[in-house]
Amino acid sequence: MTNIPVNAVDVSNLTVKFGDFIAVKNISFSVEKGEIFGFLGANGAGKTTTIRVLCGLLLPTSGKVKVSDVTYDQGIEAIKAKVGYMSQKFTLYNDLSIQENFAFTASLRKIPSDTLKRRTKELLDFIGFSKPMNTLVRDLPGGIKQQVSLAASILHDPEIIFLDEPTAGVTPVARARFWALIKQLAKDGKTIFVTTHYMDEAEQCGRIALMRTGEIIALDGPENLKKTTFPDPIIELNPKGTIPSELIEQLRNNKAVDSIDSYGMKYHLIMKDSQEWNRLSIEIAPFFVIRQIPPSLEDVFIRLVEGVTR
Amino acid sequence: MNLKFNFKRALSIAKKEQFHIMRDPFTLTMATILPVLLVLIFGLAIEFNVKDIGLTVHDSDRTFSSRKLVEVFSSSQYFNINPSRGSIIDAISDLDSERSKASLIIEPEFEHNLLASGNTKAQFLLDGADNSTAGVILGYLGGIQKAANFKLTGTLVKEPIELKTRYLFNPELSSPWFIVPGLAVVVIAILSILLTALTVAREWENGSMELLLSTPVQPLEIIIGKLIPYTVIGLAAVLLVVLVAILGFGIPFAGNIILFGVGSLIFLIACLAQGMLISVLIRTQQLSMQIAMVTGLLPSLLLSGFIFPLESMPKFFQNFTSILPSKWFMIISRGIFLKGADLSDLKLPFIGLFILSSILIITATKKFKKDLEP
Repeated sequence: MTNIPVNAVDVSNLTVKFGDFIAVKNISFSVEKGEIFGFLGANGAGKTTTIRVLCGLLLPTSGKVKVSDVTYDQGIEAIKAKVGYMSQKFTLYNDLSIQENFAFTASLRKIPSDTLKRRTKELLDFIGFSKPMNTLVRDLPGGIKQQVSLAASILHDPEIIFLDEPTAGVTPVARARFWALIKQLAKDGKTIFVTTHYMDEAEQCGRIALMRTGEIIALDGPENLKKTTFPDPIIELNPKGTIPSELIEQLRNNKAVDSIDSYGMKYHLIMKDSQEWNRLSIEIAPFFVIRQIPPSLEDVFIRLVEGVTR
Repeated sequence: MNLKFNFKRALSIAKKEQFHIMRDPFTLTMATILPVLLVLIFGLAIEFNVKDIGLTVHDSDRTFSSRKLVEVFSSSQYFNINPSRGSIIDAISDLDSERSKASLIIEPEFEHNLLASGNTKAQFLLDGADNSTAGVILGYLGGIQKAANFKLTGTLVKEPIELKTRYLFNPELSSPWFIVPGLAVVVIAILSILLTALTVAREWENGSMELLLSTPVQPLEIIIGKLIPYTVIGLAAVLLVVLVAILGFGIPFAGNIILFGVGSLIFLIACLAQGMLISVLIRTQQLSMQIAMVTGLLPSLLLSGFIFPLESMPKFFQNFTSILPSKWFMIISRGIFLKGADLSDLKLPFIGLFILSSILIITATKKFKKDLEP
């Protein structure tokens, strides 16, 4: 290991077509070694397609992909050896024990039995698993299953770990625990590539790529994303009682207002012309409790991913 | 890339599959109960020889001769006599009410005509709605007529030409002898098509196929690994059928057991490939199962010659059945089992079966690999 690559993943001008349908349009990005890289986007935005290409499950139509210094020219097997993949849909075989699941994965990846033994102990210690190894997976609680599944997917000690919605359907406590594990792995130098629908999870990523209809429309750290998307603060309007129905429409048509969206019972208002705010705020003060709030990732997501289509 | 085929990895898949089979009550039940059930149902319940046929007798003559005629029927052990309740109408109404399958009507002049001219008549009515039973009864009538002639006239009628029939391979025309060897076909077809169709569809359905593919495992290794356990199950089921046939039904195994095993294996591979093809194309367990049932069960039961002779089918169907592996293996199975046929007798069926198996396995593998390889 004389030259350690700085980037774990390098993608340039990647395009994936299924017939006439373009699933991924000419995207380029890099992921640094040891980074937690979040992938956000609606279903069908191209996240899974991109991940499948990076895991060696799908050939790119055009463009260059380099995963842990390995390119497609060196064969998909070489890529597969470098990555670990854990999907939301399937975790482990339910009717096999943990031992059997591990042994099965190990045999497919040709991991020698002494290495398997050592890695199994390491990983089970890592996730803090204490039940007997011959417990059937179906008898494990959802959160534990997710952690064991993570362990199984990194049995071969991959440099990059792809997690496709790994925490879908587990309890908040188990999610927090899982993210602690992810952070530990990143600290140990592993690169984590994660897709999620939870905004609080996205906040914990080093950088986030937002995908929409096959394109990356934003790529930055969570705080920077908020700053660049919302240079001005968001104004939260909390109705004091019933408000005149045409009021929201009036605000929306106001030239100084950029957008107004409903969030549950409340509204989020963004000014186009902040000079106008002082006057407008006095005008609507009788109807709303007004306060300025910092933008959340959800605001960013809605504005970037859904806002454009409106 | 295929050159990297690694038998150890295929074995790991086979081992994992074995865990699935051992722990899944459905698969286990199917694999063990189904062959036994089929042998019992088809071996014991299907009887082509009809016995205890209800026969309504309306005897208006009531003479020594007419009673002798009725006696011939009743002593033949094929018929149960239902005496007419007085009216000739009963002869018809008993057929309508399914009380009898046939009626015998003897007119008042039966004995008189016999004694006067040496020639007399009785009427025999047969329920033609059930043509298979009618056919069998018709077959019995010839023998009964001969016996009646002898009983009533005391002389054996000399026929100019007499055909002596001897039944080869199944001297007593026993139905189980005909049915049970054919069951090997049905059992293999159902078991292997159904189980493989389910096993691959299951991996698609719960997403584990994706995970398998993220490892360096090759498509061919998955196929071979998955087929090994089901080949074992299929061969075990055939062995079970053979044992039940020999020990349970006393059917002698006339031919070469090795040749029979080879035929079974080729047929088994065709069925496994068919199951694989179904689940590669369908990818959901429920629909795979239904399609496997229809494409596995129907041809092997109806179009293989298992029960309904292919010779009596329209020309189109006779030709059509040639693309069904079950037709060819039916010929092989019965041929080896009952007739002791050897490879030279069964050249055509073996070639047919081999070609069909090859086509199926090539198609399934190609389609499977195309789906799996990036």
